[in-house]
Amino acid sequence: MIIDRIHIRGLRAHNDSTVTFDAGVNAIVGPNGVGKTNILEAIHMLCLSRSFLTSKDNVILRRGSSLMEIEGHFTKDAGGSQKVRLAFVPGEGKKLFVGGSPLERMTDLVGRFPVVVFSPDDQRLTAEGPEFRRRFMDNIISQSSPVYLDNLLRYRQVLKQRNELLHASRRARRTPDEMVLESLTRELVMPGAAIIADRMAFIEAFAKHLDDAHQKISEVAEKPGIAYAPFGRAGIPEADIDSEDGSFPKGGITIPNESREQRARREKRVFELYADQLERNRRHEIARGMTLYGPHRHELDLTLDGHPVRRFASQGQHRTYGMALKLAQYDYMQHRREERPLLLLDDVFDNLDPARIEAFLAILGSDAIGQSITTAARREIVHNHLDPSACRTIFVARGGEVLEDETSIEKVPPKATAPREEPASPLADSLTND
Amino acid sequence: MQFSSESVETLVEQFSRLPGIGRKTARRLAAFVLKQPKSDVVEMAEALIAVKEKVIFCSTCFNVADHDPCPVCLSDRRDGGVICVVEEASDLMAVERTGGFSGKYHVLGGAISPLDGIGPEDLKIKELIARVAAPGDGPVVREVILAVNPSVEGDTTAYYISQLLAPFEVQVTRLARGIPIGSDLEFTDEATLTRALEARVSV
Ligand SMILES: [Zn+2]
Repeated sequence: MIIDRIHIRGLRAHNDSTVTFDAGVNAIVGPNGVGKTNILEAIHMLCLSRSFLTSKDNVILRRGSSLMEIEGHFTKDAGGSQKVRLAFVPGEGKKLFVGGSPLERMTDLVGRFPVVVFSPDDQRLTAEGPEFRRRFMDNIISQSSPVYLDNLLRYRQVLKQRNELLHASRRARRTPDEMVLESLTRELVMPGAAIIADRMAFIEAFAKHLDDAHQKISEVAEKPGIAYAPFGRAGIPEADIDSEDGSFPKGGITIPNESREQRARREKRVFELYADQLERNRRHEIARGMTLYGPHRHELDLTLDGHPVRRFASQGQHRTYGMALKLAQYDYMQHRREERPLLLLDDVFDNLDPARIEAFLAILGSDAIGQSITTAARREIVHNHLDPSACRTIFVARGGEVLEDETSIEKVPPKATAPREEPASPLADSLTND
Repeated sequence: MQFSSESVETLVEQFSRLPGIGRKTARRLAAFVLKQPKSDVVEMAEALIAVKEKVIFCSTCFNVADHDPCPVCLSDRRDGGVICVVEEASDLMAVERTGGFSGKYHVLGGAISPLDGIGPEDLKIKELIARVAAPGDGPVVREVILAVNPSVEGDTTAYYISQLLAPFEVQVTRLARGIPIGSDLEFTDEATLTRALEARVSV
């Protein structure tokens, strides 16, 4: 899938901008603070209904503007173009239209226009807390299977209710109504088990993509490892169920060569294990006044030659690993949906050494990647490594003005970049409640 | 647009407290009321007051009615052996409009939601169990249809009730979920479509 053209009105630096893209490598060049990243944010909003930098639409709205409007024209790999329009009015919320028809729920958009974002924040994937890795998983699986996002939203809503029951009871120094707790526990375990089963199947397939990606960009032969083991390392035996049991599966991702019946049995087993875990820890949860077990707490273990990355990796290893994770995401999504995702790269080259830039641009220019759109402070960053004729260059001047050549860009000294906000999950807010 | 009159602003304020009404719509409604003849406005105001003064709740099914018991509970042409459980009286009216249900009803008055401070004791659940446990002069209850919303709160309430009804010899059912009639398959969200596929029926 590629984006041919985007029209942006009332978004941060952009009063009224139109940008046209090529099917291959695109570079958006200009001084810091002129609105290069805003163009990537706008594209991202058309794909996943929100920016990759913030979940607050008011922040993205141009100061003094009463309307934000983004319109993009996409072409699918199989041919056929589709127009996506997003309109945001403060106080009235967002509206999305695909091919002229309004979408009832923002989440219905997810997965239709697959997108992968590289940003300097990717280092946090390996260096910081588990919530970053959960968001990473949730993003990929949601874009790959709409049922996953549905289960995620459902889980999050039950979690809120269950936490409130536990918390309110603790505050009032009484035990929660046993049957209400039981009902909410069951409602939690249903989508929870589907999420866990989907994540397990996803990691099983994803490991190979990560291995390939890491090999492509790392100069040393180190082996990445990835594991998701919410119930310990022993693995999960199948449950004995009648294949007529219609309650399973609720999730959509299967392990390669897994039949629907096997998937149903695996999910049922996860359901039992999760339900049992909550049952055994009920007193503990009541005492603490919150839900302590479930996919909102799970860790995704990343290793390099068997050593936990978070504790042992060097700065350079973190950077390589983060990029490998995103490259593997691209590869996985492309295989799964048979649609090439859009690749957005936000200022990733500015802090990279020339050898890594070289290796990475070679991948962008190769057949492995479809359309990519990257921002860079200086055109040399891209043009020193890539034939300018093989790359469309778009210049952005002060005030968000989009130009086809750079003659009229004022020479302004680069401003210090504003501190980054907490990265928003590009999907529903993360499951994290810790 | 800002009205300069304080009483108009008060009316806008009142309208915007109604569910689903934003300030913009509230202003439009207020402007409409301003243009209406006084007799129409008096009629509307009286209807609002009458609803609080005259309407009572049926002591059997807790539907809103002018008399207790309500006409549905009183009717002997309706099957008292089947009870359709709904969250609100407006849901009852929706089921009734289908014309396809000839049993009786039970209005819970909401759904279990700790976030809203609503527990089972705030709903007419005890009363429902009592109807099943001791049908009195009426027929034995054979089926309870839980026509609650497919939300987290509705589903939690449904499970809660089904556990309470487990000891009785009564069939407990839920509404099927599927694709809304009249909607285009192409524009049905994939999650609903997946669920509908799973719950497919043979033809
Ligand atoms: Zn009645």
